[in-house]
Amino acid sequence: MIKLLKPLCAALVSTTALASFAHAETLTILMEAVPDTEYVQALVPEFEKETGIDLEIEVVNYAEMHTKLVPQLVAREGSYSLIVVDFYWVGEFFKAGWMMPLDDYIAKDGFDVSPYVPAMMDLVGAIDGTTYMLPFYNYAMGMLYRTDLLEDEANKSAFKEATGMDLKVPETWDEYLKQVAFFTKGDMKGVVNQGLRPDPIAMEWSNYLFANGGEYMDDTWTSTLTSDAAVKALDDYKTNIDKYGPVGAASFSFDEAFNVFAQGGAYSYITYNFFRAAADDPSSSQVVGKTGIAPVPGVEPGKTGSLNGAWGWAIPKSSPNPDLAWQFLKWVESKDVAVKRALQGGSPTRTDVFDDPAVLEKYPHMADLKALLLGSHNFPTFTYTPQFVEVLGRELSLAVTGDKSSADALAAAAEEFNELAEKDGLKK
Amino acid sequence: MASIELRSVSKAYDGGVHAVRDIDLSIADGEFMIFLGPSGCGKSTTLRMIAGLETATAGDILIGGERVNDLDPAKRDISIVFQNYALFPHMSVRKNLSFGLRLKGTPRAEIERRIGHVSKMMGIDELLDRRPSQLSGGQRQRVALGRALVREPQAFLLDEPLSNLDAKLRAVMRTELIKLHQRLGTTMVHVTHDQVEAMTMGERICIMKDGEVVQVGAPLEVYTNPADTFVAGFLATPSMNLMPARLEADGDGLAIHLAAGTIAVPEPFRAAYAPYAGQAIIAGMRPEDFHEKPAEAGPFGQLVETTIETVEALGPETILTLSQPGGTAFAARVSAAGTSRAGDKIRLTYDAGKLHLFDPRTTKRIARPLSV
Amino acid sequence: MQTRIEAADQRFGWMLSAPGLMLLGAVIGFPIAWALFTSLFDYTLIMPSYDNFVGLDNYVTALGDKEFGHAAWVTLTFVAAIVVVEFSIGFLVALMLNSTERGRGIYYIILLCPLLMNPVVVGLIWRMLLHPTLGIVNYLLGLVGLGPVNWLGDPTNAFITVVLVDVWHQVSFMIVLLLAGLSALPREPYEAARVEGASTLQSFWHITLPLMRPVIVVTLLIRVIFAIKTYDIIYIMTRGGPGDATDLISYFIYRRAFVGLNLGEACALAGLLLAVIVAMTAYLHRVMRKV
Repeated sequence: MIKLLKPLCAALVSTTALASFAHAETLTILMEAVPDTEYVQALVPEFEKETGIDLEIEVVNYAEMHTKLVPQLVAREGSYSLIVVDFYWVGEFFKAGWMMPLDDYIAKDGFDVSPYVPAMMDLVGAIDGTTYMLPFYNYAMGMLYRTDLLEDEANKSAFKEATGMDLKVPETWDEYLKQVAFFTKGDMKGVVNQGLRPDPIAMEWSNYLFANGGEYMDDTWTSTLTSDAAVKALDDYKTNIDKYGPVGAASFSFDEAFNVFAQGGAYSYITYNFFRAAADDPSSSQVVGKTGIAPVPGVEPGKTGSLNGAWGWAIPKSSPNPDLAWQFLKWVESKDVAVKRALQGGSPTRTDVFDDPAVLEKYPHMADLKALLLGSHNFPTFTYTPQFVEVLGRELSLAVTGDKSSADALAAAAEEFNELAEKDGLKK
Repeated sequence: MASIELRSVSKAYDGGVHAVRDIDLSIADGEFMIFLGPSGCGKSTTLRMIAGLETATAGDILIGGERVNDLDPAKRDISIVFQNYALFPHMSVRKNLSFGLRLKGTPRAEIERRIGHVSKMMGIDELLDRRPSQLSGGQRQRVALGRALVREPQAFLLDEPLSNLDAKLRAVMRTELIKLHQRLGTTMVHVTHDQVEAMTMGERICIMKDGEVVQVGAPLEVYTNPADTFVAGFLATPSMNLMPARLEADGDGLAIHLAAGTIAVPEPFRAAYAPYAGQAIIAGMRPEDFHEKPAEAGPFGQLVETTIETVEALGPETILTLSQPGGTAFAARVSAAGTSRAGDKIRLTYDAGKLHLFDPRTTKRIARPLSV
Repeated sequence: MQTRIEAADQRFGWMLSAPGLMLLGAVIGFPIAWALFTSLFDYTLIMPSYDNFVGLDNYVTALGDKEFGHAAWVTLTFVAAIVVVEFSIGFLVALMLNSTERGRGIYYIILLCPLLMNPVVVGLIWRMLLHPTLGIVNYLLGLVGLGPVNWLGDPTNAFITVVLVDVWHQVSFMIVLLLAGLSALPREPYEAARVEGASTLQSFWHITLPLMRPVIVVTLLIRVIFAIKTYDIIYIMTRGGPGDATDLISYFIYRRAFVGLNLGEACALAGLLLAVIVAMTAYLHRVMRKV
């Protein structure tokens, strides 16, 4: 028996040795299946050629990401060298202590974080003065609209006659709602919504909340979702789905909603800004060159209702090879590479990329996006953000289906928010 | 009660394979008819066509003089008993018996009366509340028969009902069925592959082979005068010895030249066999027509001298296998008293008055005067 | 009193089954035991520790949770709906297939196709087909002047849609099991019944149904047990919505564990679900032994 075991052990030892050797030269990253990931993937061969490091990007749907990440993050040594973190996981990941501080790396290599849009660094960068992440891309939400419909002379005069207002990119929420009603005729809808539980509806409705001048909470982390503005925001949302949207919008995910817009089925769609580039892609859109994006209009001109959103890069404490991960991170977030990503259609997080002449020349709407980003609002981020999104999504959906009144649904969401905030020790 | 008549009935499957071909048969009212034949001969198919479980592809089936080809089985007023009883396993014996009557809406009192009557007759009145799974094979068979009886049909069709029983039980049930038939006087058609059943039970036997009727007749008639080598070889154990031979003129007479020797053809048969003189024939000799005492062999006894190969002592009788140099061995049935051993020489007398000759080309029996 | 040979046989038996038992213990027994153990603690993925023993608190919280109660109710109606519909269709098709002689293999293959598909794929395909404005189903309905139907955007419709998609996906399971049962039935009782004057319907009622009873019970129980655990289709098609119309227990537990990160409570919920399923399996086992 012992004789038999010996070669077996030897074989085992040598294969594990080989495995760990290969491990050292391989970077594994878990990313979401979105356009910005593709832009990174397109540039990976450059990095591999430069460094000889083998890069493996595992791409999954958003829905699976959190489920896949958590077990790896809890482990002492996980399989992911580098991860991307959605802004509303930040509180949870920070609280659980899953992310490695990056300040030493930044100082050692003199990496300059000042070009990042400050709101981005707040959202997916530093927490309490310590840098845990570098902002990857932003998905602040904006209003996609059909420029051709706005410029149509017949529409202009009809709108003027109906409302007494000029037909133009809306500057206030009320003006926008009037346009939504105006453009709804037969199969053509004024707006398409993403009403699926939990995050599509929660994220989209946040714009309605901010556009109506509402907020999630006050300075003491007490929910303000029971405010009149919030109730009106939910009523507006329900009206848009029921009266001015396509059948089934209450169950649309963002891709299904975007398809309706891209097929020319709706005048407007409040969504993630990266869909602006997709609307000009002839392979997925029939409204190429007819689309504009603007900040979601607010209560008065100059104020916006846009929800901020972003992903950050982080090195998990369970990373098998943090040094290599940083080597990739500082490359992919360098200005050169960030510009290359933006030129493919990526959503920048750095002001120097927004202002880059080449980027602006290719995408004149980058200026709109920068404005959108600068004026956008943040979703409350704390340990229980994912749970709150779940609760909010459920309650909003219940209101949309008519199972609850807007006020009741928001009261329920507010109550659970307060409980979660208290549990997290934030309530003052 | 009713007669059953088959007129040129055939059953063919897609592709032209015939299960049954061109059967003509009349079963008289109250008759006990046996369908006998090896498996696959079409006897069960014929029975099932009478029952209506299979459709005839040609010909007419008449029950009680009425054409029933297109009549539903239930409306033919017959009962069928299956080989594996086909009891309803989830119903008690009582429910099994009453199933058909309940479907017909027979009044409850009448059902009770019939069940009481039949269950006593079949000796199953103690078992009425049991399930089939709690019964022995013989008991199940009685229940199956009982289920056929309660409906008081015009005819009973029995599809190898005894073949799943052990030998002893089979003998008992055989007698019971005969008694039942005597008592009821209903037409019965009984399918079997067991020639003892056929010989002992039926008033007439219909022997079938490859989907065709070979011979129909009373058991003894079929036994003594088999229509061809198939029937000759099928009935009785051991069956008739069928030996290739030549028929030759022998002075005034005829002689059969076997490997073992010659046998003179009895005078009454000569005229009938004369045309076959000089030809190959098959000689059919029943083992029981060999006798140890010449006196028992009758006027046409002829001496046969040979050697014993094997001895099967069965008790009441002994079967000898006798060697025939240059030919196949043959069997003889002798009394038990003998002290014969394998290897012994033996002298037996054959009763040539029982001899049959068969034409080897057609396998048919060559006609001769039947009684001598 | 055990003889030495019997004792040796028993030892040998244990030796043969030991590797299998150990494997089962490792991959099934241990996780279950660990989950039940965890359910007694305030264990979250954010603070993974077994410091806070809370006894049965997690169970009490779970049972008192209105949302859980609602999910349990939705699950119950969902299971009842799919099992009843799948059984009715399945039995009908199985009966039809049982009396079909030609092309049975082809029907079999066609029917088995959905069953071979991953539920996630099924969900995605149907979500696409049922897109209210861009899907082919509403387009085809439109051609005959119907619709558009709001398949997933309305609570009642969404529930029915999910039930129908599950039926589409799983009905073959019933068909295959029931067909196996039907083709194993003896032929003679039917012939006996036919001679006795039973119509097709009477034969079905008096013979097929009673004879099939054990198969039916087993089929229904297996299907119910699997149906209770339905998760993928809900996850892909509705996320429990709209509102909470399709919020099944499995998806609820998933959210407790991986969104709420409250593993203790999720384990308690899973334990409750396990208890129900174990009870049903025990009953199934008893029924099968009687057969």
